[in-house]
Amino acid sequence: MTKNNESTTDEYHVASFVAYPIFEQLAEVQEAITTVDGTEIHATSEEGKIVFTIEGHSYKDIGNKMDTIRHHQGVINLSPVYHQILDESTESESH
Amino acid sequence: MTLNRREFIKANAIAAAAAVAGVSVPAMASNLITSSDITKLKWDKAPCRFCGTGCSVNVGVMDGKVVATHGDIKSPVNKGLNCVKGYFLSKIMYGKDRLTQPLLRMTNGKYDKEGQFSPISWDQAFDVMAEKAKDALKKGGPEALGMFGSGQWTVQEGYAAVKLMKAGFRTNNIDPNARHCMASAVGGFMRTFGIDEPMGCYDDLEAADAFVLWGSNMAEMHPILWTRLTDRRLSAPHVRVAVLSTFEHRSFDLADNGMIFTPQTDLAILNYIANYIIETDRVNKDFVTKHTNFRLGETDIGYGLRPEHPLEQKAKNNGETAGSSTEIDFDTYAKFVSTYTAEYTSKLSGVPEHKLKELAELYADPKVKVTSFWTMGFNQHTRGVWANNLVYNIHLLTGKISTPGNSPFSLTGQPSACGTAREVGTFSHRLPADLVVKNPKHRKIAEKIWGLPDGTVPPKPGYHAALQNRMLKDGKLNFYWVQCNNNMQAAANINEEAYPGYRNPKNFIVVSDPYPTVTAQSADLILPTAMWVEKEGVYGNAERRTQAWYQMVKSPEGAQSDLWQLVEFSKRFKIEDVWPEELIAKQPEVRGKTLFDVLYKDSSVGKYSLDEVPEDHLNDDARAFGFYIQKGLFEEYATFGRGHGHDLAPYDRYHQERGLRWPVVNGKETQWRFKEGTDPYVKKGSGWDFYGHKDGRARIFALPYEPAAESPDEEYDLWLSTGRVLEHWHSGSMTQRVPELYKAMPDALVYMHPDDAKARNMRRGDLVKLVSRRGEVQTRVETRGRNKPPIGLVYMPWFDASRLVNKVTLDATDPLSKQTDYKKCAIKIVKV
Amino acid sequence: MKISNIKSIVTSLLVLSCMAISTSFTAFATDKAEINTVATLRDHTEITTQQEPNRIHKVINKDIKQGRNYPMQPPIIPHTIRSYEVNKNNNKCMSCHSRHRTEKSQAPMVSVTHYMDRDGNFLADVSPRRYFCNQCHVTQLDAEPLVENTFIDMNSLMKSKTANTDQH
Repeated sequence: MTKNNESTTDEYHVASFVAYPIFEQLAEVQEAITTVDGTEIHATSEEGKIVFTIEGHSYKDIGNKMDTIRHHQGVINLSPVYHQILDESTESESH
Repeated sequence: MTLNRREFIKANAIAAAAAVAGVSVPAMASNLITSSDITKLKWDKAPCRFCGTGCSVNVGVMDGKVVATHGDIKSPVNKGLNCVKGYFLSKIMYGKDRLTQPLLRMTNGKYDKEGQFSPISWDQAFDVMAEKAKDALKKGGPEALGMFGSGQWTVQEGYAAVKLMKAGFRTNNIDPNARHCMASAVGGFMRTFGIDEPMGCYDDLEAADAFVLWGSNMAEMHPILWTRLTDRRLSAPHVRVAVLSTFEHRSFDLADNGMIFTPQTDLAILNYIANYIIETDRVNKDFVTKHTNFRLGETDIGYGLRPEHPLEQKAKNNGETAGSSTEIDFDTYAKFVSTYTAEYTSKLSGVPEHKLKELAELYADPKVKVTSFWTMGFNQHTRGVWANNLVYNIHLLTGKISTPGNSPFSLTGQPSACGTAREVGTFSHRLPADLVVKNPKHRKIAEKIWGLPDGTVPPKPGYHAALQNRMLKDGKLNFYWVQCNNNMQAAANINEEAYPGYRNPKNFIVVSDPYPTVTAQSADLILPTAMWVEKEGVYGNAERRTQAWYQMVKSPEGAQSDLWQLVEFSKRFKIEDVWPEELIAKQPEVRGKTLFDVLYKDSSVGKYSLDEVPEDHLNDDARAFGFYIQKGLFEEYATFGRGHGHDLAPYDRYHQERGLRWPVVNGKETQWRFKEGTDPYVKKGSGWDFYGHKDGRARIFALPYEPAAESPDEEYDLWLSTGRVLEHWHSGSMTQRVPELYKAMPDALVYMHPDDAKARNMRRGDLVKLVSRRGEVQTRVETRGRNKPPIGLVYMPWFDASRLVNKVTLDATDPLSKQTDYKKCAIKIVKV
Repeated sequence: MKISNIKSIVTSLLVLSCMAISTSFTAFATDKAEINTVATLRDHTEITTQQEPNRIHKVINKDIKQGRNYPMQPPIIPHTIRSYEVNKNNNKCMSCHSRHRTEKSQAPMVSVTHYMDRDGNFLADVSPRRYFCNQCHVTQLDAEPLVENTFIDMNSLMKSKTANTDQH
C-alpha cells in the first residue's frame, strides 16, 4: 500500500516558517532555531519576526523539528507558511 | 539537476515566508529566483474566477504561462484557503479545445444559417456582425437588438456594454445571466431597503451566535464561507447552526437543527417565525417604531409565463401592479401573520413543530445574534422577492440587523453579479448605481455623466433573460450577442423556449466564449475570448468587496477579451447609423463620429493615457486602444455612485489592496451599512438609518404563502430540483476541462431516495429518463450520493453538457424579479 | 453513430422552420456532424438529441499517491471514501490521517498548514477551519477526460528548459 517507511524515504521536505519571539529574547530564539538540524534563518524583520526554513526527509521529521522550536519559551507564535515535498526516488516523476 | 530543484523549491519557501513576515526576499533567495531564466517565477494577486465568495489567490507565472496558484494569505476573505475549484485555477485556461479563431456558419464561402462553422478573421467577423446589426436596426429598430451578458464580466466590460447598448444602440435589451441568479435578491433589497446589496459583511461569520441556512448549500457552493462558519461553530460551543432545504445535503453535516421542507413552503415558515416573535412578545418595539413601517403586498401575481398560459390567464394581478403595496399598521400585520400557526405551518411544510420552534427561538431570543444565509433556494423561486422580503421581516421585527453577527445576508452566486451586473446595472431596466431607466431624473444623470443629449437613454425597460429567449423564438429579437455565459445550457425549457430562438433564421446569434460550449454550438458566429488573468479587470463579491487584478499572461493567439470585442465593434458604427436625426441635432458635434469616439475615446473613458499603465504589467486591451481604458471605464462608472451611498475608491487603490468594501468614504471601507458608527451615510443621532428610502425606514411586508407554478400530480409525480455541485462551476465549461475536477465528478446523475427508486423498479446505476411536459433528459440513478432527497423529490445538477437537465425545467419566473425558478417543476422518471 | 444522425435529422426538421433542403440526406448528415465539431463536451451531438449516458464510473481505489501540479495543490484522495462520514460529531478522515494516528495507519499526515488558525497562529490540533476535508480533497473516478488539458507544471517547464540549455 503506501510506502511510508520513515528512515528509508526518498523524500526531500522543505517547510518555511515565521517565528515571532519575545523581542528581548530574539538572540536566544535565533540560537534555538539554528541548533536544530536542517534549519536555516534567512531574514529577521525589524520587529523581530524570523523567517526560517526546515529541511527534512519526512512529515514526521519536519513536525518534530518544528515542535522543538515551538516549545522554546521565547517563542510567542510560530506560523507555518509553506511545505513542499520532492519525491527523489529513481522511479519516474508523477504527473 | 536534483540539487537545482531542491534549491528552487527552497527559494519558493523562503519567498513565501518572507512575504508573510513582510520582509524583502533575502539576497540569496532572490538571486536564485532571478539569476537563472529557468527559475523565474512571478507572483501577482487576483480574485478567484469562480463563486461570489470572492477569495483572493496568488497566481504564479513562468514563461508566459500560469504554473501555480495558492490561496492568498493576505486576503481577509479566505486567509490562504481555497476550495477544490480554486486550487485548480491554474488549469482552467489550458483546455486543448480553446477557441482561437472566429467561426462563422458558412456554405461556399458565404454566411449560411445552416452552414458549417468555418474560421474567419476578426475583421470579417465584425463585418458580418455590423451588417446584421444594421439590418436588424433598419427592419425592427433598436428593440430588435439584444445582448445577454454576465455576472462574470469584469466591471469594465459590464459598463462598456451598458454604454454601447443603452446609449449607442439605444436599446434596453441588455440583461445579464445574473437575472437567473440574483434578481430576486435585488428585488427584495429594493422593496425593503430602497437600495441594493447586503448591509452586513463576512465579519458576521466570526461574530454570530447562530446561523440559519435558508435553502443554500454553503458547504458546496460557498465553501470558504462555510469554512469560516465551521470554524466559528466548532470553536465556540454555544453556537447553533440551523439548515433548511428541500433535500438533505452536505451542509446538514454541521447542522444542529436540520429541516427538510416541502418546496415553496419556506414562505410559510418565514411567516410562522414572524408570528412566533409577535406572539411570544419579543418584538423589538423601540426599533420597529423608530425604523420601520408596514406594507401589505399585492398577491396572486402569476408566474411570469407567456400571457397565453392558463396560469397567467388565471392570475388576477400579474400586470403592472404586481409589485405594488399599501401602507398598513403593526396590528394589521400581526393579524396577517397570525394564521401561520405552528400547527398549520408544520402541516404545510412537513417540518415537525418542535423543530420550527427551535428555529424561531434563534430569531426571537434577543440575546442570540443570528445570521441568515440564502442564495438560490430563495432567489430561483416564483415568489423569490417575497422570500427575500420575508426574511428581512424577521430581522427587522427583532432589530437584528446591521450589527456584527446580526445579519440577513444574501449570498451572491457569481464572482461579480454584485460588482458588475447589479452595481453597474447591466439589466434591462437599470442604469449604474441602482438608477432605473424608467425614472426621467435618473436618465438625465446618466446622460449628463456620459455627455450625451437629453433623450438618448430609452425609457422603456427592455427584454429580460426569459423574455429574450421568447422574443428570439417569436422572431422579434434579431441580432443577439451572448458574452461570458452558457445560456443554452443554463436557461430553463431548452426545447420550447431556448433552442428555437437561436435557430430561427430571422435571427443572427453571436456567442463570445473561450471554449466551445453548448451555446456556441447553437450560435451563428463564435468569437474566441480571453479569460480571467489574460486581461485586466475588476470584480465585486457578495460582501461588497471590489477587487482588481492585472493581466498576467497573454491570451492564446487570436483570442480577445470581451472588452476588446465590445469596444472594437463600436468602431463599426457611425452615430448616423444608430441615432435618429432629432437626437443628433441636439448635439451636432457628434456628427460623423463613430460610437467608439462618442462612447469611449472622446468621453471621460478616454481620459487616462497609456503612461499610467504600469510598465511591468501586461495590458493588451489598453495598448490596443491607445489609452488606459480599464481605468477610464472604472472612474467614469464610479462617478455614478460616489456621494450616493455607492462610493468606490480611486481605481489604482484597488490594485494595492485585497479589495475594499463600498461605500469607501475618505479612504475608509464600510463593514456594516445603515448603522451609526460604521456607515458614514447614516444621519447623526439616528442609530439606524435606512437611507435607501426617503423616510429612512425599512419596510416590513405582509406577504402570504402561494403555491408553486407546477407541483407534482398523478402523472408527473416527482418534484425536480436542480443546482450545482462543489467540483464544478456552473455549466462546467471551465471545470470539466480540468482533469482532476472532471474525474472527481464526470457526470451529472439524478439523486433519488432509494425507496422512490425501488417503487419504480430502479436501482443505482440504472439508465433512466427524466420527463416533463416540455422535454426529457437521460441520466443514471444515484441513491447513495452526497444529496439525500426525501421521497417525492429528486435533484439533478446542470454542469453536464451531455445531460441537459434544462430540457425538462419550466421557465416560470418570479413576476417581480423575472428570475427563473429552477428548483421546482413536476417530472416523472422512467426506465429506459 | 449513423442511426442517431438520422434521428437527429428528423428531430431538427421538426424543430427548425423554413429550411431549404437542397442537398441529399447524407450530405445533410455530414453538415450536422461538422457543425457539432464544436460540441467537444458532448461528443459532437446535436443539442436536440442525446447519446446514451455512460455507466456510473468507479472511484479509483489504488492508494497510489498522485503527484501534485504545484506546491499548494491539495492532494487527491487515492482511495474510496464511501460511507466515510465527516460531520459535527465525527471526522472519519482523521482516524487515519491525524498526526497521532499515522504511525498506526501509515497514511500520510495532514500537512502542518492545517494546524494554523485564521490569523496564522499555530494550534495544538487541526484547525476547525480545515475540518471538512472534502472541500479541498476529492477522489477520482476512472473516467477519461473528454478534453485534454495543456497545463504544464513548473518542474516540467524547468526540466524542458534545462534540457535545452544542458549542452554545456
